[in-house]
Amino acid sequence: MAIIGDTFREAISRKVFIFFFGISTFVIILFFLFFSLSSVEGMIGMMNLSEDKNSIRSIIIGIQVFIIGPLYAGGLFLSIFSASSFIPNMLEKGTIDLLLSKPISRLTLLIGKFLGGTLIVLLNIAYLVFAIWLMISLKFDIWNLEFLTTIILITYIFMIFYILMMFIGILTQSSIFAMIISYLVFFIFSPILAYRENITTSLITSSVGKFIINVVYYIIPQTSELGGITLDIAAGVAVINWIPLITTTIWGIVMFASTVYIFQRKNF
Amino acid sequence: MFAIQVNSLTKVYKSFFTSRNITAVKDLTLSVEQGKIFGLLGPNGAGKTTLIKVLLNICFPTSGRATIFDTDIFDYRIKKRIGYLPENHKYPNYLTGEQVLNYFGKLSGIDDKIKLNESISTNLELVGMAKWRKTKIKKYSKGMMQRLGLAQALISDPDLIFLDEPTDGVDPIGRKEIRDILQNLKAQGKTIFLNSHLLSEVEMITDKVAILNKGELIREGNVSDLTQKGMEYQIILDPNVSSDKLEELKKLSHHFKNISYKFNVNVANTDELNELIDKIRNSGVMIESFSAQKTSLEDLFINLIKESDKKE
Repeated sequence: MAIIGDTFREAISRKVFIFFFGISTFVIILFFLFFSLSSVEGMIGMMNLSEDKNSIRSIIIGIQVFIIGPLYAGGLFLSIFSASSFIPNMLEKGTIDLLLSKPISRLTLLIGKFLGGTLIVLLNIAYLVFAIWLMISLKFDIWNLEFLTTIILITYIFMIFYILMMFIGILTQSSIFAMIISYLVFFIFSPILAYRENITTSLITSSVGKFIINVVYYIIPQTSELGGITLDIAAGVAVINWIPLITTTIWGIVMFASTVYIFQRKNF
Repeated sequence: MFAIQVNSLTKVYKSFFTSRNITAVKDLTLSVEQGKIFGLLGPNGAGKTTLIKVLLNICFPTSGRATIFDTDIFDYRIKKRIGYLPENHKYPNYLTGEQVLNYFGKLSGIDDKIKLNESISTNLELVGMAKWRKTKIKKYSKGMMQRLGLAQALISDPDLIFLDEPTDGVDPIGRKEIRDILQNLKAQGKTIFLNSHLLSEVEMITDKVAILNKGELIREGNVSDLTQKGMEYQIILDPNVSSDKLEELKKLSHHFKNISYKFNVNVANTDELNELIDKIRNSGVMIESFSAQKTSLEDLFINLIKESDKKE
């Protein structure tokens, strides 16, 4: 608990999490002001008078899905940026010596750091998503609870990246390197590999090449597909393909186990 | 009873990129008695900090075995009985002194909030930092950080305390205060394992020292035994002794050949020493003081390191 608490305090002490919180508050205020505009108020009044509740519901869900896209990318971008230095900071000479001299196992130490980082991101994401959901729901009297599940999904995807950053952080003790690799996976590799079938059809003809692309696809977290699943869930649409969630979870477990293994054997 | 027992311990740092391995500790065997202050000395790179890190499982031995209070060092629970002040320690700079102790107290296994608060107050008072308890540590000086570090090492009332350069950056008055704290801890039955470059300080407070060079133990023993200059004694006579009496003494033994009222004698054994004293007393000369001659720990250290380097 002490490690979780300290990670939380470290996050708060760092300007980037305050910035994250500030951005979230700014977005919430923007939405509030938008819904307070007289023209929008009038439109909402008309919509609420309408008999066709299903159409209104579809519009509201459309708005929510429209919001969740940038929220997913922006929230994760800021979360990765904020959390990238947690592990390298902990491994600094003079800090790790003290932590390892205490009667706690290395596994506990790592889990504490992991949960602390995850908790602060969960709170930030929950603050933003819940406030927007509450505002829209109160205005339109349409309570789309699925929208709230995106809090869990975005946090879950952050956890996957956090595991990746922990792994790289322990190997290299570099927060910048951990951050760059995470951004590469999130913004470059995963989106490109999501369209691997198009790529392999048009650019790669050899079966070996196709096989390698497929292997890379399955050993890298499929965050683009997870983004799609997040949007489907927010929209209340049935998710057709859960495989990216399963393979990414397996990837997360394997990476976390590897991180623990390396950390437990590392000399400081 | 031993607090620490180290048996044939070796630590080699292997390089991934070159074939050059560094042996930080080589086949080291030593033991530290409970309730004593033990000093580990050695030049930079001798392996002193590595040994502490191995004992605390911050890094792992390549071979050999070590126990703390008869428990294998791999059992992390033994650390409940250990306090540690590392060299160049770093605390989260967003915390106050009090919060640092609260955090490390919890990590040390103090679950009782009241007990923890009491320990924080007692230890901050002990190291003279009570009035700075609410100040963010980023405003602390080096000396204040050392004091806080010492309080951190003592927070769980440990039985064994490892201190790596505890007086580094501390002013002379502060150093004296730290020495007093360590003596007081020893009086309470605590074992202290001290790494320090300040040999005069080590000499003042340690019961036993070990000297390491390039990872190897080159000398170990009680400070008084190590610094004793064989069977050399200084004798100081009454300063008002007449020259006639001195001339008489010179005839009694070849040891007194070139004496003045203050002189050194080298004897083969205590019988010979007693014989000389009897001769002085029988000649009617008063002996004002008599002491075994010692070399300073610093001189001993420098000589041993030079000898050890020459052998290679």
